[in-house]
Amino acid sequence: MPPKTPNALLHGTLDALILKTLAGGPLHGYAIARFIEDTTGEAVLVEEGSLYPALYRMERRGWVEAEWGTSELGRRAKLYRLTDAGRVQLTAETATWRRFSAGVSKVLFAR
Amino acid sequence: MKQSLRSWLWRVPIDQEVDEEIAFHVDMRTRELVERGMDVKTAREAALSRLGDRARLKRTCLDLARKRDREMRFTQWFEEVRDDVKFAARQLRGAPAFTLVAVTTLALGIGANSAIFALVDATLLRPLAFGEPERLVSIWEKTEKTPRSYVSPLNMLDWEANSRTFERIAGFTPSVGGMVMAGADGNAETVSRQWVSAAIFDVLGVKPIAGRTFLPSDDEKRGSVVVMSEAFWRTRFNSDPGVVGREIRLDGSLWTVVGIVPKDFQLIGRSSLWAMRPITNLPPRVRAAYGLQAVGRVRPGVTIEAAEADLAAVADRLAREFPQTNKGRGVMLEALHDTFIGSDLRQTSILFLGVVGFVLLTCCANVANLLLARATMRTRELAVRTALGAGRRRIIRQLVTESLVLSLIGGALGMGVGAAILSAAPSLIPQGLLPPAVTLTFDMRVVAFCFGAALVVGLLFGVAPAWQATDFSSPQVIRSDSRTTTGGGGTLRGLLVIGEVAAAVLLLFGAGLLLRTLIAVEAFDRGYRAESVLSMLVDPLGSKYPTPESLQQFYDQVESEIRAVPGVRDVAWTDTLPLDFFDEGGFSFEIAGDPPLDDSQRPRTEYQVVSPTYFSTLDLPIVAGRAFDERDKRDGVPVCIVNEAFARTFRGRSPIGQRVALRPASSPEAKPVVREVVGVARQVKGRPDETRDFVQLYVPMAQRLSDDTFLVVRPKSGRADALAPSVRAAVSRVDKEQLVSVRNIVTLEDIAWEATGRHRFRAGIVMVFAALALVLAMVGVFGVLAYTVQQRVRDFGVRRALGATTGDVLRLVVGSAARLIAAGAVIGLALAAVLARLLTAVLFGVQPLDLLTFASVTIVLALTAAVATAAPAWRAARIDPAVALRSE
Repeated sequence: MPPKTPNALLHGTLDALILKTLAGGPLHGYAIARFIEDTTGEAVLVEEGSLYPALYRMERRGWVEAEWGTSELGRRAKLYRLTDAGRVQLTAETATWRRFSAGVSKVLFAR
Repeated sequence: MKQSLRSWLWRVPIDQEVDEEIAFHVDMRTRELVERGMDVKTAREAALSRLGDRARLKRTCLDLARKRDREMRFTQWFEEVRDDVKFAARQLRGAPAFTLVAVTTLALGIGANSAIFALVDATLLRPLAFGEPERLVSIWEKTEKTPRSYVSPLNMLDWEANSRTFERIAGFTPSVGGMVMAGADGNAETVSRQWVSAAIFDVLGVKPIAGRTFLPSDDEKRGSVVVMSEAFWRTRFNSDPGVVGREIRLDGSLWTVVGIVPKDFQLIGRSSLWAMRPITNLPPRVRAAYGLQAVGRVRPGVTIEAAEADLAAVADRLAREFPQTNKGRGVMLEALHDTFIGSDLRQTSILFLGVVGFVLLTCCANVANLLLARATMRTRELAVRTALGAGRRRIIRQLVTESLVLSLIGGALGMGVGAAILSAAPSLIPQGLLPPAVTLTFDMRVVAFCFGAALVVGLLFGVAPAWQATDFSSPQVIRSDSRTTTGGGGTLRGLLVIGEVAAAVLLLFGAGLLLRTLIAVEAFDRGYRAESVLSMLVDPLGSKYPTPESLQQFYDQVESEIRAVPGVRDVAWTDTLPLDFFDEGGFSFEIAGDPPLDDSQRPRTEYQVVSPTYFSTLDLPIVAGRAFDERDKRDGVPVCIVNEAFARTFRGRSPIGQRVALRPASSPEAKPVVREVVGVARQVKGRPDETRDFVQLYVPMAQRLSDDTFLVVRPKSGRADALAPSVRAAVSRVDKEQLVSVRNIVTLEDIAWEATGRHRFRAGIVMVFAALALVLAMVGVFGVLAYTVQQRVRDFGVRRALGATTGDVLRLVVGSAARLIAAGAVIGLALAAVLARLLTAVLFGVQPLDLLTFASVTIVLALTAAVATAAPAWRAARIDPAVALRSE
C-alpha cells in the first residue's frame, strides 16, 4: 500500500476523471468514486465533498445528464450519463492534461 | 428537448433529490467498509466523516441544482416561444389577405396613437428642457381686472432684491420681433429677435455652447449685446466660431455677439437672436410699463405657494411706496411649465388621447373579429392538435403568440406611420398653435410607446378569440363533416361589432360638436368690412420722444409718410386690434345725470385709443353721430365714440351728446374723466368665441397718447402683407436713428385665422379619427355579414329551394345587420349623451346635447351602414339553390 498522504487532486482534474469514468457507461455517484479509487489503486482518493458539487456543476453545463434508475442492489439511485457535449469536453481535458503532465515531467526529470 | 421531457416526467423535488443521493452514497460506503471488516457503527461514522460538512455540501448541491432547473425551464420556455413564433409566422404567411388587413389596421391604430402620444408627451408628461425645471415659476402681476398682466421691469428688480425665496428673477418680451441685419453682400435681411433681461440665461440654467451669456456688467454698461441661437449660427454663419465677439449691424446700429446658446432656449420664443434689454437705472415712469414676462428660479425646497406669499408681501410694500402705479397690483405665480403649455392645449391633448384611444380599441375589435373568423375556420386544426396531446393552455399560448406577432408587426409599421405623421405635422399644424415649448419629435419614448401599445393590443385582441377557439370538446369537431363550424364565435363577433359601432358613433358625435363649434366661430361677424389690413406694433420707447407733443409729431409724420406710399389707401393708429382683446373691461363708467353708483356696481367697458382715420381704414361703419376729426385735439373737449353694446346701456335715450364719467377699473377712487359721446360705431368682436357682445368705447389718440401703438394700413387693392416692406421703409425714413422697434407684422386676417386656429385643429383631428373609426366599424359590419352569408350559403339555398323569395333572404341579411348597427348606435348615442358634457370647455355656439348633431350622426351612420351591408346582402340574394346545395 502506498503511503496514506492526502493525495489531493490538482485543480480541474476531478472533472476529467469523472468524464472519463462515465465514458464507460452510466454510473451513480458512489460508483464513480469507487471506480476512480479502484483504478488508481487508491492513489487518488476522491474527496466526496467535491464529487457531488462537481457532478451538479457538470450537469448544469450539460456535460452529463442524470436520471433516476436502479442500482445493482435494486435501490433507487441517481445515475449520471455522459452527453455528447461531455464527450467533447473529455477530449479537450485529456489533451490539456497530456500537455500539462508532459511539461511538468520535463521539469521534474530534467538532468 | 429529450432532457427537458425527462425532467418533466421524472419530477423529483430538488431537496429530496440531493438528500436521497447523499444518503445512498453514505449507505454504500458504509456497506463497503463493513465488508472490509469494520463494525457497522464505526463504518458509518467513517463514511460520514469522509463526506465532510454535510450541511454545506447539501447547500452547495441544492444551489447548483436550482440554477440548473431554472436554466432548463428558461431554455424550454425559450424554445417553445421560438417554435410558437416560427409557427405563427408560417400561419400568417399562409393567410396573406388576413395578415395584410390585420397588420394595416393595427399599423393605422398604433401609428395614430403614437403621434398623439408625442403630443401628450410634449404637453403633459415631459418636463421642460431646462436645468431643475421644477424650480422655475412664471410671475405675473395681478390686478382686479386681469389675473395675468405682464410685468414692469422696475417691479421685477424690486421683487428680486426684496424676496427671500428666489435665487434670481429675469424677464423677456413675450413676442418675438424682427431686426434688419446688414449682410456681407450689402443686402439687408430681417432676423427674428427677442428682448431679454441679462439674467434670463442664468435663471433658466442655459449654458452657452460658445462664448458667454449676458453679465450684470452688460446691463450696467447698457451694452448693445446679443446672444445667437445655435440653429441660426449653424445655418447663417456655418458654425463659424469666429462669430463670437464679432459686431453685427442690426437696425442700423452695431451689436456685439457674445455667445451661442443651444436650441432648448427657444422655449421662450422661436427667435434667432436674443438682445439684452437693460433694466437697471431706468427712469421711474417705466414702473408703469408692463411689458415683460417674468421667470423666477426659487431656492431649493421652496413651494410655489411660499414663493407667492413672499412676493405678495413685497408687492404690498411696493403698492404703499408707489401708490400711483402699484396700488392694487398683486402677484400671481404658476409653474413655468403651465405657462408655456397653457390649459387649452392640455385639454386638447387629453381630448385627442381619449379619441385616439377609442380608435385603437376599434382597431382591436376589428382584428379580434378577423381572428375569431379565422379561429372558427381553424377549429379542426386545433381539435386535431388537442387530440394529439396539446393542452388547452398550450394552444391558447400558441394563438396568443400569433396575435402578438401580428401586433408587433403592426406596431413596427405603426411606428413608421407615427414618424410620417410627426414629420408632416409641422406643415399641417397652423403656425403659432403650438407654443415653442411643445415640439413634436419622434424619439425613443415614442418607440417605447409603440412597443408597449403593440403588446397590450396583442393581448387585448388575442386572448378572447384564443379562449373561444379552444372551447370545444375535440371528438365531435373531428367527426363533424363540415370543415368549419358555425355559431359559437358568432355572439362574440356580434358584440365586438356593436362595440365598434358604438365607439364610432361616439367619436362622430364629438366630431360633430367640434365641427359645429368651428362653423360658429368662423361664421362670426367681425364687424368691420375691410378685407385686408396690415398691422404692426410701433414702439418708440426711447428718450427721443419725451413729451406728448414730440410723440404726436412722430405719429403724424409716420402717418403722412405712409399715406404717400403708392398702393396705400388708408392708415391709422390704434392701441388694440380687433380679435386681440384679453382684458375684461379696463374702465368703469357712469352716465352723467344718472344716479351715482358704488364702484362695484359701475358697468365696465373696454377702452380703445384710435386715431381719427381708424374707422375709415377698417371700414368700420359709424352708425350714428360722427367719427373723430381735427376738432378732437389734445386740448379740445374730451370726446368718445361708443359701440352698439355700449349704446344700449343708455336704455333708449340717444347716446349722442350724452356725457360719461370714466375711471380706470384698477383705481376706483381716481377723479373721473368726463367725455362726450359724439358717435356710435358698429359692434366688432373682441374674441371669435365671445359669448356676449362686449361693451367698448373709443377715445381719440390725440387726447390719450401711449408709446406703443399698432399701425394699421389698408391697401388700395390686393393683399395687405405686400405693403409691409414699403411701410417699414416709410417708418425708418421718419425714424432715421432706428430707435423705434417695429414688430408683430401681421394682417388682421391672420389674426382672425389664428384666433380660430385651435378650433379648426381640434375639429379637423377629431373628424379624421371619427372617420377612421367609422370606416373600421363598417369594415367590421361588412366582415361579420360577409362571413355569415358565406357560412349560411347552404341554409339560404335550402330556403330558396323551399320557396323563399329574394326579398326574404335580403330581409334576413339586412335585418341581422340592422340589429347590430342599431344596438351599437343606441349605445354610442347614450354614451355620447353622457360624455358630451366633458367637451363643454371646448365648445362654442352649440350645446353638448345638440339635436342636429344627433340627427346628422344617425344619418351618416345609416348611409355608411347601407354601403357596408350592400355587398353581402347582394351576394345572399343571388344564391342559386342548386349550386348552394351541391357545395360541400
